[in-house]
Amino acid sequence: MSVHGLEHRFGATQALHRTDLEIPAGGVVGLLGPNGSGKSTLMRLLTGLVPLQQGKVNVDGVPMAGDGLEIRRRTTYAPGELHLYSELKGGEHLRFLLRGRRDGSFDRARSIAGELGLPLDRRVREYSHGMKRQLLFAAAIAPDVRVRILDEISEGLDPAKRSQVLDLIDADAARGTTILLSSHHLGEVDRSCQRLVFLNAGRVVADESSEEVRRRAGRLVRLRFAPGALTPGSTGVLQGPGVESVEEVEDRVNVMLSGDDPRAFLGRLAAATDLPAPTSVEHGRISLGELYRALYGVEGT
Amino acid sequence: MFKGTRGYITYGLGFFVVLEIMLVAAVYWWPTFEENLPSIKAIAAPIQMLSDLVDQVDQFGVSGYIVGQHFFKGCSALGTAAAVLFAANSVAGEAHRGTMEIWLARPVSRTRLMTERWLGGLFVVVAPVFLTSATVPALLGMFDKTMDMSDLMRCSLHMGGFLAAIYSVSFLWSCLSSEPMRISFVMLFLSVMVFALYLVEGVTHYSLYRLVEIKVFMRIITKDAMDWPLLAPMLACTVLAYGLSLRAFRRRVP
Repeated sequence: MSVHGLEHRFGATQALHRTDLEIPAGGVVGLLGPNGSGKSTLMRLLTGLVPLQQGKVNVDGVPMAGDGLEIRRRTTYAPGELHLYSELKGGEHLRFLLRGRRDGSFDRARSIAGELGLPLDRRVREYSHGMKRQLLFAAAIAPDVRVRILDEISEGLDPAKRSQVLDLIDADAARGTTILLSSHHLGEVDRSCQRLVFLNAGRVVADESSEEVRRRAGRLVRLRFAPGALTPGSTGVLQGPGVESVEEVEDRVNVMLSGDDPRAFLGRLAAATDLPAPTSVEHGRISLGELYRALYGVEGT
Repeated sequence: MFKGTRGYITYGLGFFVVLEIMLVAAVYWWPTFEENLPSIKAIAAPIQMLSDLVDQVDQFGVSGYIVGQHFFKGCSALGTAAAVLFAANSVAGEAHRGTMEIWLARPVSRTRLMTERWLGGLFVVVAPVFLTSATVPALLGMFDKTMDMSDLMRCSLHMGGFLAAIYSVSFLWSCLSSEPMRISFVMLFLSVMVFALYLVEGVTHYSLYRLVEIKVFMRIITKDAMDWPLLAPMLACTVLAYGLSLRAFRRRVP
């Protein structure tokens, strides 16, 4: 998948600022960001659901043209919005979602729905939020395509179902499928992603391998202080060898170390008598979501 | 409401049943109507347009009566309502309930999706007109009367053209909007207003229902030919509205 100079505007709102992305074939890429960050707009642009205004999109070797039919034939898409035809039975709805797919897709989808314990003989109006999500997932994972675009696919699922869904995604990716997976909760999907693209306010603010992100998470030390205890500039004493950056966010201080060993920094912290004593010091237990929040100030992850 | 083949057949059947019940009732009451025609003419006399209608029935006998009851009253009044309601929900209804995204996300071209939807609704609105008209000869047989099937089919085609135009204009609006209720209310209000205009002397010529009045159908029957000067603009309106709908639908965002 490649995206060059993609921009999109809804009226006066710039939903997506100039975006360039190259996603090589195979593997799972996480598209992350808070609500309203532009994830769904980007995904809809990739599937032709929203006409291109500016920029180029290429999916599985096919450039976006017309209404994007050629791209939709080569991809599956599970929308983030959960609006379904409540009057249909699960099986009927699955058939509706799989219209235009190759023979066998419905049988595979039915088998996946069975694995997930989805009752296809019941009307969709009787489905819970999570069951509706699973129905969309089954329809998106079953067809034999090389690219899947899954918007908020784990949202609303209980931990066991989420794990089951991610297992199926991992198995699919292992067969060489490229999967773009969006979420506004990094912790829900990061175990499956090899690469993480972070969007905020319609801009890509980070695009890194998840291994690198995890490594950086291991180098972040987060200090908490009593409310109002910090005075402006007092954290300057934390700067020094082995420290890459120090950032104050209200009563928290995020310190990015340049190496994995925090002992030298902790020694300096203990010796910094000008600094009030922190109420907590966290290192190595910081989630990727917290890391992004610390690094990019992005909330809601 | 979900619109699949089964849905179209169900709604079409529903419209057929309603039209047929009205037609059966009209045929059943024909002898009484014929018997009381002088009294009805006297009642209608103060209203010129109504008086004209009754005079036409008097002039053409059972054919004028059937054309008035079935085409002018049943099909045009109920058909307009069916056309507006069905068209309004076609695309705007999907947007309103949020199902537009899953409808469009499948590997099916937008041209095909929209054309299927347009044709489905057109079938629901127009097919019952032909089907109910086809039962007229059998129903009239109860009173030893008859009407020629080819005349009835020509009249149905003319009526279908009128309904197709109204349906297609409503459909175009549906492609541009996400508010099916607003489309339905406005279009139905306009239809009632335009129908009311028909009955007002002096402005009756501004009413679209002049296109489907008894005189027009009787002209089709007596001349054994379609009234192309009236039908062609209605068909052109249908095709134009379809083309504009397609253009709007291709740019539609979920």
